Amino acid sequence: MILIGELSLWVALLMAAWSATVSYAGGALRRNDLVSSGVRGLYATFAMISLASVGLWTALLTKDFSLEYVASHISANMPAVYIFTAFWSGQAGSMLFWALILSMYGTIAIATSRSRNRELVPWATGTISAILLFFIATTCFKANPFGRLDFLPVDGRGMNPQLQNPGMAIHPPNLYLGYVATAIPFAFAIAALFSRRLDAEWLGVVRRWTLLSWFFLTIGIILGMWWAYVELGWGGYWAWDPVENSSFLPWLTNTAFLHSIMIQEKRGMLRKWNVVLVVVSFLLAIFGTFITRSGVIESVHSFAQSPVGTWFATFFFLATGITIYLVGTRLQDLEAKVELESMVSREAAFLYNNLVLVGIAFAVLWGTVFPILSEWATGNKITVGPPFFNTVNVPLGLLLLALTGIGPLIAWRRASVSNLKRQFAAPAAFSVVVAAVLFALGMHAVYALVAYALCGFVTGTIVQEFYKGVRARQTIHEESLIPAFVHLVGRNRRRYGGYIVHAGIVMLFAAFAGLAFKTENDVTLKTGETFDVRDPYGHQWRFISQGVSTSNRPDRDVIAVGLEMFRDGKRLGIITSEKRQYLDSQHQTLFQPITQVGIRSTAQLDTYVVLAGVRGNDVAELRVTFNPLVVWVWIGGFVMMIGGLIVMWPQAERRPAQAGYAATIRTPRAEAELPVGV
Amino acid sequence: MTSRREFLTRVATGSAALALGGGATSAAAQQRGAMHDSSIVRDTTNLFAMDQSAAKAVRFPPKPNAKPLLTNAERDELEHKIRCQCGCTLDVFTCRTTDFSCQVSPAMHADVLALVQGGYSAQEIIDGFVSTYGERVLMAPKKSGFNLLAWFTPGVAVIVAGTLIAVWLRRWKNEPAPVAAANMFSTVDATPDELARLDAAVRGDDRE
Repeated sequence: MILIGELSLWVALLMAAWSATVSYAGGALRRNDLVSSGVRGLYATFAMISLASVGLWTALLTKDFSLEYVASHISANMPAVYIFTAFWSGQAGSMLFWALILSMYGTIAIATSRSRNRELVPWATGTISAILLFFIATTCFKANPFGRLDFLPVDGRGMNPQLQNPGMAIHPPNLYLGYVATAIPFAFAIAALFSRRLDAEWLGVVRRWTLLSWFFLTIGIILGMWWAYVELGWGGYWAWDPVENSSFLPWLTNTAFLHSIMIQEKRGMLRKWNVVLVVVSFLLAIFGTFITRSGVIESVHSFAQSPVGTWFATFFFLATGITIYLVGTRLQDLEAKVELESMVSREAAFLYNNLVLVGIAFAVLWGTVFPILSEWATGNKITVGPPFFNTVNVPLGLLLLALTGIGPLIAWRRASVSNLKRQFAAPAAFSVVVAAVLFALGMHAVYALVAYALCGFVTGTIVQEFYKGVRARQTIHEESLIPAFVHLVGRNRRRYGGYIVHAGIVMLFAAFAGLAFKTENDVTLKTGETFDVRDPYGHQWRFISQGVSTSNRPDRDVIAVGLEMFRDGKRLGIITSEKRQYLDSQHQTLFQPITQVGIRSTAQLDTYVVLAGVRGNDVAELRVTFNPLVVWVWIGGFVMMIGGLIVMWPQAERRPAQAGYAATIRTPRAEAELPVGV
Repeated sequence: MTSRREFLTRVATGSAALALGGGATSAAAQQRGAMHDSSIVRDTTNLFAMDQSAAKAVRFPPKPNAKPLLTNAERDELEHKIRCQCGCTLDVFTCRTTDFSCQVSPAMHADVLALVQGGYSAQEIIDGFVSTYGERVLMAPKKSGFNLLAWFTPGVAVIVAGTLIAVWLRRWKNEPAPVAAANMFSTVDATPDELARLDAAVRGDDRE
């Protein structure tokens, strides 16, 4: 099976090359036989890559240490689940995994839209196959997971224990699923540019796949944050690391697109801009991979650097060049026919939403690459770290939060004063109340106050929308509360799913603003010594060291410290932090020692204890951190995921009707007088 | 085909070197060196490639009659602005309170302590670190010279683009509707009310 897998990989390379060539040729020569052959070539590529993947999984699960990839990434005593996930834990495997997802996505995208997008299919198939060709070629020539050792090691090197974490098992595949999904809209955008066609069908395909990409990137990013928070022990979840940034960039442009696409659907505007957003998302995903794999920028993830960086750089610049050429020469053909009418309308709010999202993406990209720019221009090596990103992005983030509230409520085309008053009175009042209460409770940090006031405002708008919707249904259909709510969301999944995503965003912002009140304490405690401290809410905490203990497990040596915790005199139990040194079967140390953080989570705040070091037998050096509201990051992420699922859930055959309607009927008065959201 | 010798070399330059009897410091230094060797594929073995020899002394003689100018909290705040040089990408405070295998952040911390004791101000301490390590020792670039580009480009870009959008919107507002659009509207033979109902019917959004 392993051999079949290896051979399949090479066949897949040929298939992808064939599919790319004949698809483009079929598109250019308008020959259906070539197009069909190209599409079948893509399907065959998927089949071959699947076989290759089964081959690699077989090698991993049968622990065939004669394969270098297997010997390098697993050991005989690892849990089966991590042996399975070792498929994507290394360079070569993740390249194959990438090809597997792309060929699967490509097959689904082409198979489902083949009958409806005849003009686009050859170009889209060709583009998907060309991207696949690059990934498969890189896998074959630069990072082949089937490379063999000329001897048989007794055991493999195993997996870094920090990666043996449920979050880490699913964080990379989610990110890959998100990254790779940007390739499908990209392929269709390139197809639109080649064929000079952009219609409602195009919109449907591109929107669906962008949504899928957004969905998986959201999960991937949140899981990555969670993993960093619980495993790495530095007390935060986002460090503006170049690799974190590069997962955030396509997320931002995807988000921008998912908003501006609504303007294209409703008003036929912003076509060109949308095409640009789609191609930029994909190029940013490739750029992110290039950063991860090349090590050009110093990053905590630079463990993954390798020679494929050069390949990615070449591919990135080639793809960018071709895209710029196509956009430059053909974008004019996608001219919009209707233009904006009012400064105060939802279109304008969405334009500014796009501006801010793309602005944040630009700021993040700029900060990420600026060290290279600086060294190149002045020879001065600098670090662009979290203080920079926070300073630059906080105002933009707050602006975005404000627009999250304004956008959905303001009317299309031209908002009237009465519309504004009716929609914004209650949320604005609620926002003022939130700010006033927090101020009275002693919160005087300006940014945080603004953030919470805006969180209040957006929450107000969301609640108001649900309230109005449910009330309307109750009145019209005489439904009781729960069925009215379920039908409301079920019949308007995009709209109310979107609001649920916004609710998740509000939770995230509330959690981010909470970080302003984080307190850290550097403590040294002997057995029995106490440490008294106030948390950001003013509660009095007491920690009593229970002493340092060491223990030896078969696979690790552990140094642990336990602290008995009291809050306002009430005992809360014992919180423990450990340092672990993993060992192999010969009791030799494996990898670097790792931290096991002690975390006590509540809705209000996390108590986060890290054993930083031990002096003598019983002196523990600790960091005790109070992290307000962190748990809302995970809850907010979950809520966003649910909202995303609701938006994505297929809504039978209604979408084409909707898109068709939006494309043909436009009238200045009708929509302006309609209640918002129509 | 990878030979035994090559494979073992790779293992030895990874953190598993500890298992082969290499001392922590030399193994880590080896790892760091190996990071830049493009012939080696490194994967999950090396989450934090540390260079334990990266610490340099930042020591100045204490000022006459020196008294510490910084409280402990202010000192910790200052350490948040200085980057640990072990390769972890964290600041000195966070690294030294997180990672007990790092020898660089404690050394840098010791320098900060000595300078605080020697009566140096926060700015003087930062300047001292910059003169020894270069500007990359700061977590964020100074707001001067070429770096101003880093700090102000995003804001300026957003403001300029925002203004352009506003101007564009105003222009469209003041200009008569384009002919194409006007034609399109005129093809719709319905009152606003009828269109509203049509809209609701098509969307199945019959609550309003």
